[in-house]
Amino acid sequence: MKKTNIVSFSILAVSPFLIALVALISVMYGTKDISALTVWQSMTAFDPSNVDHQIIRTGRIPRVAAVLLVGAFLAVAGAVMQGITRNYLASPSLMGVNDGSAFVITLAIVFFPGLPNYQMILLSMLGSALGAGIVFGFGSLIRNGLSPVRLAIIGTVIGTFLSSIATAIAMYFQVSQTVSAWYNTKVHMVDMDMLILSIPFGLTGLILALLSAKAITITSLGEDIAMGLGQKTKAVRIISMLAVVCLTGTAVALVGKIAFVGLVIPHITRFLVGVDYRYIIPCAAVIGAFFLALCDVLSRVVNYPFETPIGVLTALVGVPFFLYLVRKHGGEKRA
Amino acid sequence: MRKKTSSVFFLTMSMLVLLILVASYLHITNGVFDMSVMDVIKTLLRIESNSKFDLVIFEFRLPRIVIAGLVGIGLGMAGVVLQGITRNGLADPGILGINAGAGAAVVIFMFFFQLKLVSADMSSWLSILMMPLFGFIGGTIAAVLIFSFALKNGHLDMQRLILTGIAINSGFGALSLFLSLKMSAQDFESAAIWMAGSIYNANWIFALTMLPWLLILGIYVHRKSYLLDYFQLEEDSITSLGIAVEKEKMKLLLASVGLVSACVSVSGSIGFIGLMAPHIAKQLVGIQHRYVMPVSALIGAGLLILADFIGKTVFAPSELAVGIVVSIIGIPYFLYLLVKSKA
Repeated sequence: MKKTNIVSFSILAVSPFLIALVALISVMYGTKDISALTVWQSMTAFDPSNVDHQIIRTGRIPRVAAVLLVGAFLAVAGAVMQGITRNYLASPSLMGVNDGSAFVITLAIVFFPGLPNYQMILLSMLGSALGAGIVFGFGSLIRNGLSPVRLAIIGTVIGTFLSSIATAIAMYFQVSQTVSAWYNTKVHMVDMDMLILSIPFGLTGLILALLSAKAITITSLGEDIAMGLGQKTKAVRIISMLAVVCLTGTAVALVGKIAFVGLVIPHITRFLVGVDYRYIIPCAAVIGAFFLALCDVLSRVVNYPFETPIGVLTALVGVPFFLYLVRKHGGEKRA
Repeated sequence: MRKKTSSVFFLTMSMLVLLILVASYLHITNGVFDMSVMDVIKTLLRIESNSKFDLVIFEFRLPRIVIAGLVGIGLGMAGVVLQGITRNGLADPGILGINAGAGAAVVIFMFFFQLKLVSADMSSWLSILMMPLFGFIGGTIAAVLIFSFALKNGHLDMQRLILTGIAINSGFGALSLFLSLKMSAQDFESAAIWMAGSIYNANWIFALTMLPWLLILGIYVHRKSYLLDYFQLEEDSITSLGIAVEKEKMKLLLASVGLVSACVSVSGSIGFIGLMAPHIAKQLVGIQHRYVMPVSALIGAGLLILADFIGKTVFAPSELAVGIVVSIIGIPYFLYLLVKSKA
């Protein structure tokens, strides 16, 4: 067995325990600490009159489930984007994908209020596609526009633009509060209905990503090699972007915009398991899930008893990492 | 040739002053409470005083216009300096993260001193006067961070500069958010304004706070603006002219950080004015910086007064933060410049 395999299998083998541990901590500790025994009882012998059981069932478990899913989704979306664009700065939050979702959701809230949740998820995915489409479209229009640094700049600026327009529209139609509740990070109030709906959509994205993993590896080696090996580059791009759209659209619909997970985790994963996306994708998923759940626990601890937005925690890790990447790679390609 | 440039310059300046007057006129007569021209003139000239009009004009609209104008001037000048010393047409205090650094420092200041913005006793005056100073420290820290990360083998890499700015922006943004959430509800309100870039709670105290900074640093950068012409040359040629390049650059950079900080401490982070104003100015009066500088200042003022007018009227009865209006106008312009610039 190659080293890559050993590392990635051990990651996949250890991760359930680590994830279970962080999930248990997440369920036990909060504004009100609950013992592990009570947690167990709430699962096995649910008592509706017991407040602790209610907290666990309706608050803590949906929350940790959402955070785990979103962590996995964003990390995989980032890995796929970095692979197919061969751009080390590609990630959902930098490429306007998040902001695209939020933009379309704003429009939906204004013009079609009261849409059912599954339609909101679909619209959120549509928005992801729109955001990514504008950024990559614009990037390919200008000279050298798809180089990592330029694309990151374009992505950030277009993302800001979309979110500014969304703010303006929300303000004009006086729905700011509803919109803000939709796409500002809201891990503390996960909608159960949305959580259940997000599973099939997110899984579709994960499966698409896994199916195209081999092709992504080839693409990430370079256009020429991919063509030489007879790969249908266009089809690969479409399928993998579809995966990205499913994953980020669902993530934004579920908890809002969370930056840096999709940027940092794929790099860490590649550092651990190498360049093969058949290993990178599953490992990024579990590492991302663990990472975001950990951030979520920390977000409740750092400023106890108040919660800190989870985005502050991800930025704490993400910003120095981003600076490091820029410093190290500068304008070169390579994912 | 020189004569022609200077006549173009004076013509442009007078047109801009006219434009600012028109924008101010629109701003002062419109709003939740519409007033006629005569009402405004009568109130301003104290011909016929009416306590209701007095309140609206002197306490709400006039300080707001003055602050929008001053902030526009500051950002317009700072933008010229930054673009000049980085030789990067895409440089802007907001994009580079200087705004965010200054903003975070102001939020830190508010967090520790919990100022009461409404009361005007001695101690709160003192603390309000201190705010630009804190902003300056934060802005300088941000500038140092940005340049130390973007410097490669002794020279500035344009694209790296912007990327670092993006990172600095989100870092300081997260810090500000974190601190503001620990504040009391009342302080949070004012902190939120700083982060969004808004001037709707303008008052005369703020205008007075930033005025000395604007005057001293504004005059300084204007007097030094001829240096920016030289900075466009190759490094070697400048040194041969006998200019202590690095030292002068550093002084100008600090001055522009000072200008930005004074602006941020009263209005929060407003991006893209420092990007647009210098470009438009160069289109109008050419590339000589001693002309570009004042023209850019006035364009900044005009743009910001106009943007604030749009933000307050189009979205009435709610108000859109002027920073967002400016982004919506500024970003397409930024992208246009990006398309035009060489790779």
